[in-house]
Amino acid sequence: MSTPPAPAQSPSQTTQGKSKFSVFTIEECPACGQKTKRAFQVGDYITKDGAKCTKCGNTTRMTLIYAEPTVKAK
Amino acid sequence: MPTLANMTLQLGTDFNSILNIVWLLSFFVFIVYGQRIQIYIVANDISRALNRLKLMKDKSRKEAVDYFVASGKTTADPAAKIDEFLEYVTIMPVDLDPNGIVGKIEHITQTRDERVRSEVKRILPGAEPVKVSVAENILEIASSLNMIHKIVRHYYLLGKKTNSYILLVQLQMIMPQVLLEADALINAVDTFKLGQPVGDGIGPIIASKYMYGLPKQTVAKDTVMSVTEYKGRTLYVLKAEGPMGYVGEPGIGIQKVIEEMKIPLNAIIMVDAALKLEGEKTGDVAEGIGAAIGGIGTDKFRIEQVSSAHKVPVYAILVKQSILEAITVMRKDITDASDKVHKLIGDLIEEQTKEGDKVLLAGIGNSLGVGQ
Repeated sequence: MSTPPAPAQSPSQTTQGKSKFSVFTIEECPACGQKTKRAFQVGDYITKDGAKCTKCGNTTRMTLIYAEPTVKAK
Repeated sequence: MPTLANMTLQLGTDFNSILNIVWLLSFFVFIVYGQRIQIYIVANDISRALNRLKLMKDKSRKEAVDYFVASGKTTADPAAKIDEFLEYVTIMPVDLDPNGIVGKIEHITQTRDERVRSEVKRILPGAEPVKVSVAENILEIASSLNMIHKIVRHYYLLGKKTNSYILLVQLQMIMPQVLLEADALINAVDTFKLGQPVGDGIGPIIASKYMYGLPKQTVAKDTVMSVTEYKGRTLYVLKAEGPMGYVGEPGIGIQKVIEEMKIPLNAIIMVDAALKLEGEKTGDVAEGIGAAIGGIGTDKFRIEQVSSAHKVPVYAILVKQSILEAITVMRKDITDASDKVHKLIGDLIEEQTKEGDKVLLAGIGNSLGVGQ
């Protein structure tokens, strides 16, 4: 699973309370099963068609959107 | 025998005597004015919290106005209309005679929801359904924060006006929890504006996996259902229509499936987010019996009524999370529970039903950012 860094100050960056989060979209190829993790973009939603699969060329599908903590404030 | 002059000299130079007088005076002051001093300290504490609530309330209002303006084509200045919404009240039915009260509550909440949606559509003519649903959710947040601020302010001012120490202390004691909920609400605004799935959406996410690529039918307002097959059983999968921020009407949907569509269900499995207790881990999965659904209680009532009338067992699968996690962007800890939930659903279907049976799987929660 490739993990490009999320660009700063984008829809994929969020602050909740004292913690900062990066939001990612997982695109999964229904044919070969390859998963790609990328920064969330406005308009993404689960089950939406994603980009072409880099391995087999099929259209991927967004299967998950979730946030992971980036910086934990003291 | 000491003379008067000697005594004055002794008192005047004895530091301990001065301390004694101060101590006695402070003792007297605290006995007479102790409660007033405490009222002052407690009221100051509440006042600081009230200021925080006011900031949150103002921020949520501004975010709502900004969202309406940014969503384009507003018919008029949305600020005035939003201010009207914030003061909008829902009068609950009389409960002196509780017979039939659920139907009355349902009617009132449905009327309110329809009114809010039609007003939002009027302010944002031609806006896509996702934007309308997000605007509804943001308005709901702003309205909740406005109400919290008003109630806290009311008791604070009443406590000060009547010099009621008990009232103020009670308010001070619950303020940390009130602020926690208000913090969760204000943090939810960004998530809704961006259309990201929230923690409460774990139920719809699970259901969407079974529905993808299948034909959908609307079984209740904002509620869709697909029919699939799972290990020889017919599986009816139901969720709120996404990617809009809807919660749907799963109670009416399930009732329709059983009573109008005459589908003889052998089991109902409900997947929902549940508030965790302090000390529990986010993403922990719990299994149980009964209707797993929150809200005001009307959907739960319908599901309990129809399932007990038709003797359909209801199984619940709950994914634990805090109030903040439930209404803000979906955390990885919560999505990590998906595999366990899918396994539990499979085990339940295989153990509690047999081939040829009909099972309904309901993914309960807000469908924002979750299609089907």
